[in-house]
Amino acid sequence: MTTNTFVAGNGFLYRMDPRAKIMAMLLICVWLFLPVTLEGLYITVVLLILVGSVNTGLRHTAKTFRSILPMLVFMVLFMPFNVRLGQSLITIGSFTLITQEGALQAARLGGRFIGITYACTLLFATTPMTDVMLALRWYRLPYKASLVVTLSFTYIPFIADSFTQISESHRLREGGVLEKKRSVFKRLRDLLPTLTSALVVALRSIPYLAMSLEQRGFGRKEKRTNYHSLDSYRHVFTDSVISFSIPVVLWFMFRVR
Amino acid sequence: MEKNRNALKVAVVAVLTAVVVVFTMIVRIPTAKGYINLCDVAICFIAFTFGPWSAFIAAGLGTALADLFSGYAQWAPISFVVHGLEGLFVALIVRQKSPITIPFVTKVLAGIICMATVSLGYFALSAIFISGVSVAAAEIPWNLVQSGVGVVLGLALAGAVKRAYPPVSSLAW
Repeated sequence: MTTNTFVAGNGFLYRMDPRAKIMAMLLICVWLFLPVTLEGLYITVVLLILVGSVNTGLRHTAKTFRSILPMLVFMVLFMPFNVRLGQSLITIGSFTLITQEGALQAARLGGRFIGITYACTLLFATTPMTDVMLALRWYRLPYKASLVVTLSFTYIPFIADSFTQISESHRLREGGVLEKKRSVFKRLRDLLPTLTSALVVALRSIPYLAMSLEQRGFGRKEKRTNYHSLDSYRHVFTDSVISFSIPVVLWFMFRVR
Repeated sequence: MEKNRNALKVAVVAVLTAVVVVFTMIVRIPTAKGYINLCDVAICFIAFTFGPWSAFIAAGLGTALADLFSGYAQWAPISFVVHGLEGLFVALIVRQKSPITIPFVTKVLAGIICMATVSLGYFALSAIFISGVSVAAAEIPWNLVQSGVGVVLGLALAGAVKRAYPPVSSLAW
């Protein structure tokens, strides 16, 4: 199980300040909901995909697209049938199958969905999770909340490994009963002992974690632990201006007049 | 003493968040929206065992992180709200009673609220922000199945864990 969303690379997005990238992602997501022309929406989406391809590579861009493809197909196939307003485009006898309004709404929803997906994916593919956390701290995310998230990151592989090991040992005890022959309900019921064991292993670690947090100075005024800073990124102002300007320029270019 | 409680609270929420992430990413059945998984099992277990705030934070954060790691970052804010509320509501209904002593009616009510929160929450938020009404409506049956399985298995798991590891009660807050 992987908990790393970072894709190694050295494009310009990798050098951009994470604080500015978070701002850009949020502004682009908001921009996609503004009343903009359909052409403008798709030009922006294509630009996002191009930026993604240049920075993270074609393979990652295609992988992202594949992950949303089933839903996109679903959206494009069913959305037009539900909107009955507007001029009819396809009719069977006297029954209107697809209207212009329906097709336009499906196109807009699809474009927005692709745009949101790439805006979010690009942030996490080009920024290490530690830098995302530091940027969120800069945006005043509370210390305890950051601590919970960073501690979770360290515990996810531990619990996942425990689950895998316990699951394997339970499977060995079953003596090679083929999974395909069992119904979904039987498989879910058989999963219960494995889940119980994995949970007990995870829960047993809580008192030790609490103890180690106290020993490291959690709750004291003079903390023994602290967060790094984002000093390695030297162009926070320039990057923030760029992040703010792009959605604003796109808005003036493509807004519905 | 308060400091000790704070450290324990952080430890509990951190480990439970990791549990929710692992449960969400272990079993996946692809659907039009993404996938169905065991996250509701973990959320209901936490709600039945640990109380409303642990359930709200761990469920919301855990499912949002799982979406992020799985490449469905656009769903993370919606998952945070929907599953966070699911954990909160279920925990408020059962109020940390022992899973064995919860009355049958309360269990049924918790199940109904859990299924309603997940299916209606995803329907409303994804209809508004992501996919539109028709696609969001098509996901309702899947979400009902996933959350229904979650309540039943979550309740069974809460009882089993309590028997296997009795000190779990002292970790609730």
